[in-house]
Amino acid sequence: MALMNGAQYIESLRNLNTKVYLFGEEVKNWVDHPMIRPSIECIAMTYELAHDPQYADLMTAKSNLTGETVNRFSHLHQSTEDLIKKVKMQRLLGQKTASCFQRCVGMDAFNAVFSTTYEIDKKYGTEYHEHFKKYLMYIQEKDLVVDGAMTDPKGDRSLAPSQQADLDLFLRIVEKRPDGIVVRGAKCHQTGSINSHEHLIMPTMAMSEADKSYAVSFAIESDAPGLFMVYGRQSCDTRKLEENADIDLGNKKFGGQEALVVFDDVFIPNERVFMCEEYDFAGMLVERFAGYHRQSYGGCKVGVGDVIIGAAALAADYNGAQKASHIKDKLIEMTHLNETLYSCGIACSAEGYPTEAGNYQIDLLLANVCKLNVTRFPYEIVRLAEDIAGGLMVTMPSEKDFKSDLVVGQTGKSIGEWCNKLFAAAPGVTTENRTRILRFLENICLGSSAVGYRTESLHGAGSPQAQRIMIARQGNIEHKKQLAKEIAGIKE
Amino acid sequence: MLIGIKYCGGCNPRYNRGGAFETIKKQLPNNVEFAIAEESIEYDYLLVIGGCTKCCASYCQYQVKNDIIFVRNEDHIDMAITKIEDIVGGK
Repeated sequence: MALMNGAQYIESLRNLNTKVYLFGEEVKNWVDHPMIRPSIECIAMTYELAHDPQYADLMTAKSNLTGETVNRFSHLHQSTEDLIKKVKMQRLLGQKTASCFQRCVGMDAFNAVFSTTYEIDKKYGTEYHEHFKKYLMYIQEKDLVVDGAMTDPKGDRSLAPSQQADLDLFLRIVEKRPDGIVVRGAKCHQTGSINSHEHLIMPTMAMSEADKSYAVSFAIESDAPGLFMVYGRQSCDTRKLEENADIDLGNKKFGGQEALVVFDDVFIPNERVFMCEEYDFAGMLVERFAGYHRQSYGGCKVGVGDVIIGAAALAADYNGAQKASHIKDKLIEMTHLNETLYSCGIACSAEGYPTEAGNYQIDLLLANVCKLNVTRFPYEIVRLAEDIAGGLMVTMPSEKDFKSDLVVGQTGKSIGEWCNKLFAAAPGVTTENRTRILRFLENICLGSSAVGYRTESLHGAGSPQAQRIMIARQGNIEHKKQLAKEIAGIKE
Repeated sequence: MLIGIKYCGGCNPRYNRGGAFETIKKQLPNNVEFAIAEESIEYDYLLVIGGCTKCCASYCQYQVKNDIIFVRNEDHIDMAITKIEDIVGGK
């Protein structure tokens, strides 16, 4: 099957019977729902750009499994060049959508499950790796979106999965049958889950023997019986429900999506199970997926950052402040921060290495440094963007006011005329263009897109403390102490 | 003469790659044909247009009879035109 384009992807979603709930009700036509559709348009871009000669070199790759050209989002990295192109592709898509385009979790899960199943089979004589290869060939051939799902609700953080008062707070195996397993539990804040054809489930953390029923990895169709999703709210999300909403949305076409994915006794056939109680490999799978995903943020957030820097520069132009030295300096600072994020994404890719299974893994230390930077720099970038934009980005009247012909006051002018008169700035700049760029910044700094650019930068792919732990493990402080001793002449 | 065109993926281009190609195309005579490169076709030359100096576009998979011409920045546009003109003119 050829690569799908954006329209074909959107139509393919209509064939699914995915159960979606929002505001306490089932959403039957979720594909066209105004709060959900922007996130679908984001994923559609991952399909659309694969057909554009100006972007195809990043968006596609040759499958090592079939020899066919596949979307890079379903590719197993075969070299450090592949790892680098992954980051570049993510930057490109961030630039084109200014949102989370959601398809990275699947790509990162494919690569982590591929290498981990190889090593599980080697130790236990299981057949997970071959099953997974067949599954991935199916995904590549059909060009499907897969949500790589890791994070469990986790309940009381001081307790292990099997010690929780409610055992469903971590996703687990509740029944083993000759032909498969039955699972129960949930995956939280799942990026793009509703827009995915399939889900690829991984354990949420390293497990001990007592928690072996939680050491489970499998693939499942998004519309499987017993599987349902509850849409996650975003700041200012109901603006998307307003009639003819446009300027006030900031980013009308694109947006991100997270949902709670619930498994209410879902049956998984054996050929789709890739880990079943091999608890000693849960940590490896988590570490590899997290490593890839921490690399990912050195691409996607950088692309979004490119758009924010551009928007801040336009806001300065429209305000007539573009020649002020402090404005120029702030734009330089934003660029410096953004390119520093990118540098780490490229660095951890360039230092990648082959796994036993043959696909390439990133350098774990540099990937964690990359992500730890991502927990900080986007916040400074949006702070500087808000500084340049001015307070108007959060205080100006609505689009309807700017367009209102209701006459008010004593001199015969409408609300629209008053707004357009009083919010005029640099010569030749329309108030509409000025409000468009300010609303874009509002949306990304504290509206619905802030979910993806701010909080996701902090907690996505693991919270900052998770990166600090990995940096501590990988940083080799003893080696650094020895270096210091040698230089200082300390003999002990 | 058939020249295959291959773009890099355009993650952070320092100039307009599509515009560069249009400039090159306009400057050359009609007997120079351009087409987006495909693996099944043999080209007289391959024009690789990269958005930055790294020019990470993959191109080894294409069949090229003669040379590969690279454009990595705006300064290379005129150089590519001159090179192709020289080839057409038999220099």
